[in-house]
Parts: sequence; C-alpha cells; structure tokens
Amino acid sequence: MEKNSKKAMIITLATIGIISALLLSFVYEWTTPYIQANQAQKQKQAINEVLPGVVEVKKVEKNGNIFYEGYDANGNRVGVAFTSTGGGYNGVIEVMIGVNLEQNQIYKISILNHQETPGLGARITGKEFKSNFNNQPFGNYNVVKTPPSKEMQVQAIAGATISSESVTEIIESGLDKVTSAYGGGN
Amino acid sequence: MEEFTQILLLFISTVLINNFILVRFLGICPFLGVSKQVETAFSMGLATTFVMTLTAAATWLINTFILEALNLPFLQYVSFIIVIASLVQFVEMFIKKTSPVLYKALGIFLPLITTNCAILGLALLIPLNGYSFIASVVFGFGAGVGFTLAIVLMAGLREKLEFGDVPGVLKGVPVTLIIAGIMAMAFMGFSGLISM
Amino acid sequence: MALDLKEMFSDFKNGLWAENPIIRLVIGMCPTLAVTNTTENGLAMGLATSFVLISSEIVISLIKKLIPANVRIPSYILIIATFVTFVDYFLKAFYPGIAESLSIFVPLIVVNCLILGRQEAFASQHSTPRAIADGVGMGLGFTWVLVLLGAIREFFGMGSIFGLTLLGEWYRPMVIMVLPAGAFITLGILVGIMNYISREGK
Repeated sequence: MEKNSKKAMIITLATIGIISALLLSFVYEWTTPYIQANQAQKQKQAINEVLPGVVEVKKVEKNGNIFYEGYDANGNRVGVAFTSTGGGYNGVIEVMIGVNLEQNQIYKISILNHQETPGLGARITGKEFKSNFNNQPFGNYNVVKTPPSKEMQVQAIAGATISSESVTEIIESGLDKVTSAYGGGN
Repeated sequence: MEEFTQILLLFISTVLINNFILVRFLGICPFLGVSKQVETAFSMGLATTFVMTLTAAATWLINTFILEALNLPFLQYVSFIIVIASLVQFVEMFIKKTSPVLYKALGIFLPLITTNCAILGLALLIPLNGYSFIASVVFGFGAGVGFTLAIVLMAGLREKLEFGDVPGVLKGVPVTLIIAGIMAMAFMGFSGLISM
Repeated sequence: MALDLKEMFSDFKNGLWAENPIIRLVIGMCPTLAVTNTTENGLAMGLATSFVLISSEIVISLIKKLIPANVRIPSYILIIATFVTFVDYFLKAFYPGIAESLSIFVPLIVVNCLILGRQEAFASQHSTPRAIADGVGMGLGFTWVLVLLGAIREFFGMGSIFGLTLLGEWYRPMVIMVLPAGAFITLGILVGIMNYISREGK
C-alpha cells in the first residue's frame, strides 16, 4: 500500500509537470514573436525620438557595442543612437541616447527601461527631466537642485536626486563609449 | 576590495533602503499575521532568512546552469516554486533530525514560508538584476535580515499597542497597516544613505 | 448533476462582501499594496488574478479525485504556476505596457494565498459549476477592492483616475499616496471603514 501510494504520488506530479511544460512551450512559441516585435518597436520609437529627421537606421557594431546610425532623406548621417545601462535607485535603468558626433552634442535622450519609484524617480521618463540633456555638449554634468543657469547643468527631480544622478552617470558613461568607438572627442 | 565594498553596499541597501516588506511589498502576509509577539516574530524572521539565503543560491544555480543554458525561460516560475517548496521541506526534515530545539522554535513557520511571496519575489529579482552568485547570496541574506528587522519592529510596536486605546473598528489589521505606513515613511529616510 | 443556481449564486455573492479576500480574509496583500498606485494597474492585476483563480478552480475541481491527498498542495501549485506563466507571456505579448508596470507581481500571483487557499478550501471539495461561481465571485471581490484602492491613491497622488486628469493645475499631488507608505495607510483606513460599515449593518 505504502509503495503504491508513493508511486501514485510520483506519477501524478510527473504527469502534471509534463503537461504543464508542454503547454507552456506552446505558449512560449506563440507569444515570442509578439514579445520580440514589441521590443523592436519600442527600440525603434526610442531611436526616432532621440534622432531628429531620420528616415533610415543602420545597425553597426563597434568595440563590441551596438550603435544605430541614423541617416536623413539625402543619405547624410544625422547622428548615432545607442543604449547605455546602469544602476538606478531601485534597479537597472536603460537609456537610449542620440548624439551628433560632428558637434559632440547630445540631441535627446529617452528612458527605455527602469524600476524607479512611481511618482518620484519614475519621473525620469518625463519630458521635463529628459529635456535637461537636449543639445548638451559632451562632458561631465553637474546635477543641481535649481533650474540650470548654464551649460552642463542638469536639474534634479525634487525628491529623486539619486535617480537623477544615476541617469546622468549612465549618460556620461555612454558618451565615453560612443567617443571611443567613433574616435571623437577631438 | 572594490568588489567587497560593492557587496557591502548591496547588503545595506537590501536591508534598509529597499526593505522587502516596507518598500517592495514582499512578504506582507507573515508581516501582518505573525507579528503579534516579538519572540515568534524573531523566529519567523530567522526561518525566513535561512530559507531566503538557500533559495538565492539554489535559484541562481538553476537559472544559470539549467534554464538559461537550455533556453527554457518559460519554465522559470514553475521550477522556482518547486525549488522553494522542496527546499522548505528539506530544511524542515533536516532541522527535525539535527536540532529538536530549533525545530520546536521554527517548525510551525516553515510550511508557511513556501507561500511567502518574499521568497519567490527574491528568486525572481535575482535574474532581473543580473547579480553574480555571491551577490545573489548576499542579496538573499540581506533580504532576510531586512524582513526580520521589519517584522520584529512591528511586533514590538504591537505588543505596546495591546495597552493602547485603539478605536474598535481599527483594531487588528487596520491599525497594523497604518503603523506599517508610518514605518515605511521612516524607512524612506534611509533612501539618501547610498547612491548605488 | 443538476445545477443548483441558488447555491451557485450564494457561492458567487460570498466573495464580493461576506468573505471578501482582501477586506475580510486579509489575504493576497502583497499585490494589493504594491500595484495599486494607479487605477489601471489595480484593474489589470485584479483581472489577471481572477483569470488564474477561475482557471485553476476549474481544472482542480475536475481532477480532484485523481490527485493523491499527500501531493495535493504541490500539484495545485504546479497547476497555478502554469496558468500564471501563461498570463505573464500573454500580457508581455499583447499588453506590454501593463506587463511592465506590474513587473514581478504577475509571476507572484503564484504565491497569492487567495488562489491556493480557494483550491484547498473550495475547488477540491465542490463540483465544477460551483467552483466557477466561487472563482468568479472571489475574483470580482478581489478586483473591486484593488480598483477602489488604485482610484483613491491615483486621485490623491496624481489628481487623476484611469490616467484622466480630474484635478487642475492648482492641485499639488500628495506624492506620499503613490509611495509605499500611502499604500499601507490607505488600505488600513479602508479596512477600518469597511469594518465600520459591516458593524452598522448588523
């Protein structure tokens, strides 16, 4: 009796496990294309957001990093977009940065992923904060608590200085990446 | 040395800044249910910390060497919950055989731990944050210490509250939740401690 | 097997108020507090949980006789985890925005005590139609509290409901309401009010 019930236990659990694994592999097959399309869509939107007037995007790999070169209708390179990640207040933050390499300037930035506190750190995705970086020259930025009075200043979000500083650091390290890959920096 | 500092910072931030109960909302059920007395709360915290540290190690190994190696991400939730359930069972049997005293103190809490969402939450956060093996174990241990800290503090407050004059409708759960809210506000004060 | 509609209706009604999972049984607290910073998140979480609850109750009430008693709980957890994985991939594929804002609280439905609790207390002992009635009632009971909590927190914390701004520029949002502290306090007061209402009713 004891032996039988043990057998029954194992058979039951194994059966449920196998059925569950089978069903889930179908679900995985079915949803993966959609999930990948969503991610590609999100990335494309972010690239278009950070590079103005781009009609064609080329993916290139340099120094082991991926860059997206954006070209306008005449085939001129407008700029380069790329992602940079780093630690935030609650978790990893992923930023898409669009730069003008001819003038060593940032066009715009966009936040791809983050886990910051809703209502506080999550405001890094807001226009108000992101526009801090619009047309800023490359370099090291100062995070300040008042409206910026000169170049290279970034106004922190009230109550979320850490998130603001994290994004700034992620952007700075990203700029190092792009200048070393494209040999810029002059 | 650099690495050691990183690990230490991770530990402190897991215990205080990103406290599992008060900031991440993981493990609320035992936090409300087993926080009437400091002594039982401490035992619960101890048992949870123990299981959390083991879970962090076990799920990191499984995720890295089985799920990622064989490209089976869709089995993540199913396998994590099985690992946790078996781990809890194993710990229970082990303690029962080796230390009857410890078993008496922790025994009744162990089955409760399987459905403590802090444990599964921990297992899920590790791959999400991309921690190394050592960082995962420290993260698990820190999460347990933070859990213990919050639940013991709450139990201390509730013991005092027994003598307080709480309006009838707020007795029990409501007042516990409100106190938790005030504790969460106090813990927000730690947020400037470290910038990761 | 005759359907007893009256019995089913009382099973359904049970979850809405008398044994409401959140305010009366006080279970499933983690998602209740964590994802109710907006009304939309509360609704999405409520529906996702309801789906898992109802599906598992159906399956378990159907196969309850085949499962040996001593592996009951592991079997239930396996079945629940399967449905949860399904919901997670479904949301990621078709509602990526919602999947992102609920993040790890979708997989954490696996350990929502509400779901396992209902399998053990109800589905494993009753017929499938009654299990469905129970699942729908409990699911709705869970959802309405989440939506209400989300609405209160979003209204005070951001001046909007379902993302629609209701209060003008003059309103300075109480940020604390969308932070963890606000979640605990709002739910505490809400449960207190519900206690008051049900006591008056007696």
